[in-house]
Amino acid sequence: MALYELTDITQVYGGRTVLTIDSLSLEAGTITGIFGPNGSGKSTLMRMLAFLEAPQSGQLRFQGSNTDIADTTLRREVTLLTQQPYLLKRTVQENIEYGLRIRGTENISGIAESVLEEVGLAPGSFLSRQWFELSGGEAQRVALAARLAVRPSVLLMDEPTSSLDEESTERIRNAAIHAKTEYHTSLVIVSHDREWLTSVSDRTVLIRNGRIESEHASQ
Amino acid sequence: MGFIYEGLIKAFQLLFDGNPETWSAVYITLCVSTLSIFFTILIGAPLGFILGYCRFKGRDTLRMITDTLLSFPTVVIGLLVYSLVSRQGPLGEFGLLFTLPGIAIGQVMLGMPIVVAMVANAVENADSGMKETLLTLGADKFQLLRATLWEVRYHLMLAGVAAYGRIVSEIGISMMVGGNIKWHTRTITTAIALETGKGEFAMGIALGVVLLIIAFGVNFSVAKLKRRAGQ
Repeated sequence: MALYELTDITQVYGGRTVLTIDSLSLEAGTITGIFGPNGSGKSTLMRMLAFLEAPQSGQLRFQGSNTDIADTTLRREVTLLTQQPYLLKRTVQENIEYGLRIRGTENISGIAESVLEEVGLAPGSFLSRQWFELSGGEAQRVALAARLAVRPSVLLMDEPTSSLDEESTERIRNAAIHAKTEYHTSLVIVSHDREWLTSVSDRTVLIRNGRIESEHASQ
Repeated sequence: MGFIYEGLIKAFQLLFDGNPETWSAVYITLCVSTLSIFFTILIGAPLGFILGYCRFKGRDTLRMITDTLLSFPTVVIGLLVYSLVSRQGPLGEFGLLFTLPGIAIGQVMLGMPIVVAMVANAVENADSGMKETLLTLGADKFQLLRATLWEVRYHLMLAGVAAYGRIVSEIGISMMVGGNIKWHTRTITTAIALETGKGEFAMGIALGVVLLIIAFGVNFSVAKLKRRAGQ
C-alpha cells in the first residue's frame, strides 16, 4: 500500500495555480527527494503532505485512507522540518520533549539525550541551553532532534541543509538514513542540492511550474 | 512649602509606626487589585488569543471596540457597575455594592481591554513558524492555545503588569462601587482623595508614597519584561 496517493490535485493562491498533480504516489519506508527551481510548488506540496493545508481540489490519501487536516491523530503520524525552523522559547531538552509530552508519552527520560547524539550534538553541553544560545546550524539540528524524538511515520524536510556547513549537512544526512533504517520512518526531502539529494534518496522527483516533470530511482 | 515638608515627615512616621488606618488602605488595595488582576488575566488571555489567532467575521470590529475600551473612563465603568450591582440592578441580589468583589468586577472591566488588546497583538505578531511548528509536532487545538500563550508569556506578563498599573491607581470604580468605607473598602486612592479633602496631607502623602513605590515596581517589571520579550 502506498504511503501517500495524490490524485488530480490543484492548489491556487490568489488566482495563480501553484500546484497541479495528476498522480503521485510515495512509498512507505523510502526516502523521496524532491527538487526543482524556486516557486515550482515544492513547499506547497510539503505543506500538503504535512497536513498543514488541504488540497483545494483533488484527493490526498494517506496509508489508503482519505485525509482530514483537522484530525490530530493523523497529523501526529507526520512531522515537518522547515528551512528555518522555529524553536520554542524553552531549553533544548524542553524543545525535544515537547512532542512527546503532548502525546502523553510515558517514561521519556533518556530520549532527548539519544536523539541529540543522533544529530551529532553532545547532550551534556546542549540539553540545558536556552533557544537563543544556539547557532543556526545547532538550532536546525535541535529542531530535527525534536522531530526524531516522536518517531514519526513520515519525516518531511524542506531545504534542511540550505544554510548549513558541511559537517551539519553530513549529520543531517546520517540522521535521515538512521531514521529510515532504525525506525522505518519514511522521508520526503526537498533540496536545491541535487547531488546531496541523490546521495540520500531512494528516488527523486523533479517539479517544475507546479507539475511533476520526471521521477527517477537514485543509484 | 512648609506644610508639604511637615506632611512628608508625618507621612513617613505614619508608615514606619504602622498606622492602622494607613496600612488598612494599603492592605485593601493589594487584596482587591490582586483579585482583579487574577480574573483579568484568566478571562482576558484566552480572549486575546482568540482575537489575535482566529479569523472570523466581525473580528476587526471587535478589535476596534477593544482598542476604544482602552481609554474607557473609570467613573463611567464605576457608574455601569454601580447600576448593575445596586439593589435595583440585575446583580442586586448578590449584595456586591460597597464590597471588594464589587470593586473587583469594575477593575476587571477596566483591565480586560488592556490584556485582550496586548495579548491579541502579541499572538498576531508572533513568528508565523510557531503555529506551523506546534501543528507539525502534533499539537491539538487546546495544546496550541496553551503553547502559544506560553510562547508569548513575556508579552502576557507585560499585559498583566500594564493592566495592574491601571487597576491599582484607579479611583472612580473604588469610590463609586466601594463607597470608600473605612476598614472595609477604603483603598489607597480613595483614602488620598478623602484625606486631602479634609486637609490631612500627611496620610495622603504617605499613601501616595506607597502608590509611587508600586508604580515604580510596575514600571521596573515592564522594562525587564520588554527586554526579555524582545529576546
